Amino acid sequence: MTEKEKTSNTRSSNRIVWITLCVFLVIPHIISTPLATEIMIYGLFAMGFNLLLGYTGILSFGHAAYFGVGCYGCGIAVRDFGFSIWEGLLVSIILGILLASIIGAISIKKRGVYFAMISMAVAQMFYFLALSPLKRWTGGEDGLKFIPKLSLQFPFHVDLQSPFPLYYFVYFIVGLSILAIWRILNSPFGRLLQAIRENEERTIASGYNVTMAKFVSLVFSGLFSSLAGGLFFVYLGYGPLQTLFWLTSGTILLMTILGGMHTFIGPVVGVAVFLFAQNKFSWIMERWQLVVGVLFITLILIFPEGIVGTIKSKYLARKTAVQEVEEAE
Amino acid sequence: MEINATLIINQMLFGLALGAVYILMACGLTIIFGLLDVVNFAHGTFYMLGAFAAFVIVSLFGNFWLGLASAVIVVGLIGWVTETFLIKPLYGKDPLYPLMLTFGFSLAVTDLMRGIFGTIGRIVPLPQIFTGSIMWEGIFIPKYRIFIIFLTLAVLIFLWYFFKKTNLGMIIRAATRDSLMVRTLGIDVPRIWTFGFALGVGLAGLAGAVNSTIQSALPDMGVEITVECFVVVVIGGLGSLGGAILGGLIIGQVISFVSLLASDWSNVAIFITMLLILLVRTRGLFGEAGRL
Amino acid sequence: MKKVSWIVASVFLVTLLVSGVASAKPIAALLFPLSGPFSAMGTDMKQGSELALEEINAKGGVLGQKAEVVMGDDEFQSAIAIRKYKEMVDGQGIKAIGGTLSGGMSVAINEWACKNQVLYMCFCHTSIPLGKEQCGYGFVSGMIPYQTGVATAKYTFQNLGKSWMIITQDYRFGHDEFAAWLNTSEKMGGKFLGNIYSPLGQVDYSAHIPRIAATNPEILVINVYGQSMDALIKQLVEAGLTTKKMKFVIPKSHLYTIKAIGAAYNENFYGGHEYYWTLQDKFPKAKPFVAAYTKKHGIPPSQDSEGGYTGTRALFEAMNAAKTTTDVDKLIKTLKGFKMDYNKGPEEFRACDHMRTTSCVIVRGIGAKASGMNFGEVVAEIPWQETLESCENNKNDVPYGKVKLPGK
Repeated sequence: MTEKEKTSNTRSSNRIVWITLCVFLVIPHIISTPLATEIMIYGLFAMGFNLLLGYTGILSFGHAAYFGVGCYGCGIAVRDFGFSIWEGLLVSIILGILLASIIGAISIKKRGVYFAMISMAVAQMFYFLALSPLKRWTGGEDGLKFIPKLSLQFPFHVDLQSPFPLYYFVYFIVGLSILAIWRILNSPFGRLLQAIRENEERTIASGYNVTMAKFVSLVFSGLFSSLAGGLFFVYLGYGPLQTLFWLTSGTILLMTILGGMHTFIGPVVGVAVFLFAQNKFSWIMERWQLVVGVLFITLILIFPEGIVGTIKSKYLARKTAVQEVEEAE
Repeated sequence: MEINATLIINQMLFGLALGAVYILMACGLTIIFGLLDVVNFAHGTFYMLGAFAAFVIVSLFGNFWLGLASAVIVVGLIGWVTETFLIKPLYGKDPLYPLMLTFGFSLAVTDLMRGIFGTIGRIVPLPQIFTGSIMWEGIFIPKYRIFIIFLTLAVLIFLWYFFKKTNLGMIIRAATRDSLMVRTLGIDVPRIWTFGFALGVGLAGLAGAVNSTIQSALPDMGVEITVECFVVVVIGGLGSLGGAILGGLIIGQVISFVSLLASDWSNVAIFITMLLILLVRTRGLFGEAGRL
Repeated sequence: MKKVSWIVASVFLVTLLVSGVASAKPIAALLFPLSGPFSAMGTDMKQGSELALEEINAKGGVLGQKAEVVMGDDEFQSAIAIRKYKEMVDGQGIKAIGGTLSGGMSVAINEWACKNQVLYMCFCHTSIPLGKEQCGYGFVSGMIPYQTGVATAKYTFQNLGKSWMIITQDYRFGHDEFAAWLNTSEKMGGKFLGNIYSPLGQVDYSAHIPRIAATNPEILVINVYGQSMDALIKQLVEAGLTTKKMKFVIPKSHLYTIKAIGAAYNENFYGGHEYYWTLQDKFPKAKPFVAAYTKKHGIPPSQDSEGGYTGTRALFEAMNAAKTTTDVDKLIKTLKGFKMDYNKGPEEFRACDHMRTTSCVIVRGIGAKASGMNFGEVVAEIPWQETLESCENNKNDVPYGKVKLPGK
């Protein structure tokens, strides 16, 4: 790629980020506010997840662990230790970093499929831990309950029970996080991750510490996914056990692939389309999971680049064709 | 509850019967991975299909042995079709793709079965000769569990003979090592892969049929066993049949004894076991260097 | 071709966006698990609710208008249920919600309803009226878990024997039933011989069968549910224990359980049910309900259908009586002590804790004699006064909340 193309690519994805942020500024007035809030939260979760999958090329099948730990962590901090919402979210972030570090220490060197299986097993372990032995703190299958009405006190009072203030608070945090992720991915570190995804052996041969890079990528991924989990707790005012369930891991994978795992904003688009369809369709049909499964299979077989990926490659193909015609003249 | 020799022996026998089913599943998973480099996230789904195949055949014809045999054949055929149309197109791409596809497959097929058979369990009756138990000096084991242990043994012997002594088996072993080489020798390797997948899921189907008499046949019955299989295979070392067998035995005993002594932890125990073994031996017990 | 697909996609999207807007204003939102592993029972509940809706509209509707109700799928997940309830409450101004099959979900939804001042009519077995869960906005047309435990235990110690052993599923519902049995056993001279805890998802009980056989209790209490119950009973049959002298009592049984077990569910099996359709012989007012339901769906109503029907019908009748569909305080006031006489004789929602005063039915298996839609015979109906604790006790979650379970 030429320098000009590289910067124009960066600039175009920059533009996409700002467009998305603007769209989400007004969307709660168009579609239902709870749905919009969930799209933001899962969108952040998916972007964190995609840091690992789309950019570094590592598949984790147990990302529900970060989401759930972030959710319960924030909840327990707020309920049992009297933390404020900001402090609770900070707890989520710290727990995400810790968990990712531990999992990374055990398994980051493993081959792709092995890592996927181990991550799934670890997530299941957390699910069962929350279900039974740690029931006294987590509430077991009832989830984390007896949460007081949530509100922000700093820098001004915000009632998080009302839909719009809640939405804009979530929007604020998610917006900042997306900008942060964008900075990370458009730095030399981000390009290193993509190099690892494209050709790991070559990157090693070029002298980079690939293991360390993968580890850091996992930590960032865990951090943002846990933050999303904390926000989920704030949104619900409750901590459900499903956050730790393997179906959550599978769903975030599906949503990311649906949107386009090799694009920056794809995961958020995938989340929006999926949640929107789920909300509309499950009001009228019972075989929703069958639809999801078939959709997944179709995506993998025919459109592995997802919605945004496919659009982007069509757009790029047309752009290159136009360029070639121009150059020929 | 006093701990004495009889109790321990009973639990061990029970763990052996439990482990036998895990061994069948894990061997299937290992064959598929060893040959195709595909981690079959739908392994539990084929287990479930085997249980339903047995249910349908036994309901129609009343013969349990026919039910077992048809489960293997029916599930093998479904595996054949699945590999040909859904997995083959993905060879050459990122190995994560088939993994993700099998996950989608498991979601779709499980829900399809819920739609067809409903969510109420179906009973598969036990043949007369297996009802009742053997009791001797306080040691107690239902006759059917003994059957399971011997059946698994027979399957393992068959697999050993197949892989070591038959031509097809040797070709498969060679293709596992170096598929390119085998291809240049003029052998239709993609066909071998399809067969390998069918064999692998056929084993899962057999496990499902075997268990269908103990628990009822339910569309959701395969969901948890997939993860448990992964644990077995990770413990044993991905790609090693010996590891699959040892892993299955270990997990069977772990579940058996933890259920007895600390039932709160029985679901968590196998994951803790997996983590401990990984900390000590990062490749699993018999994992091969270079594959991982 | 490409242009066509863009047009189609845009039309599709616009339809999706707009489709929510057009319909009439609903007065309640009901959610049940219509997909997933419990869809059979969730669908029953929905069907019961639909029948109640049809009936009320045939009689003139609510406040003179045809009642519109949103009924949907909570996918057996609390987060999805809360999201949908939020949409209905924030977006459509609904002030009454209901449904739910899972006790675990119901307590979370109840807490949300209280924080948002919305009326919640719960159709299932739930702990909403107990202790900390009680917050004033929830009503129950099902039962509290301990009630079926107490009913089956009382019947057992009066009629079947004294020595008992229990296998308990290791989660809240199982613990509640176990506590009820321990407490009742102490009061009625039962002889407790031992307990086995079974983790959720367990389907292989062969390790425990020898212990059960060796202990040889008069009664084995099967306190495991779903797949586990099917599996356990199968394995008991396999071991030859179900055709001897031992009796098997299931605190919370279900029409579908009996159906699934089939001929093996013989005269040695006793189950607690909130409702069994043959009660229509005792309560003729239920006959139209049973007939209409059976005609529409081919099988008689299960307890979930009945819970859905009663809760829905009571909600609408209360709305008519209070002359409002949105003033939650008025609705609560009307529902407190609200009298009903639908399918099980005269009942009401107790004013202090909003519990339905309903009986528990003991159904005995009939084995191979089961035919058509009749799978069991009702041998007793335990009135609510014998199973439901006083409001004071429920508020403090005694006695069952304070029972010390062995090994816990």
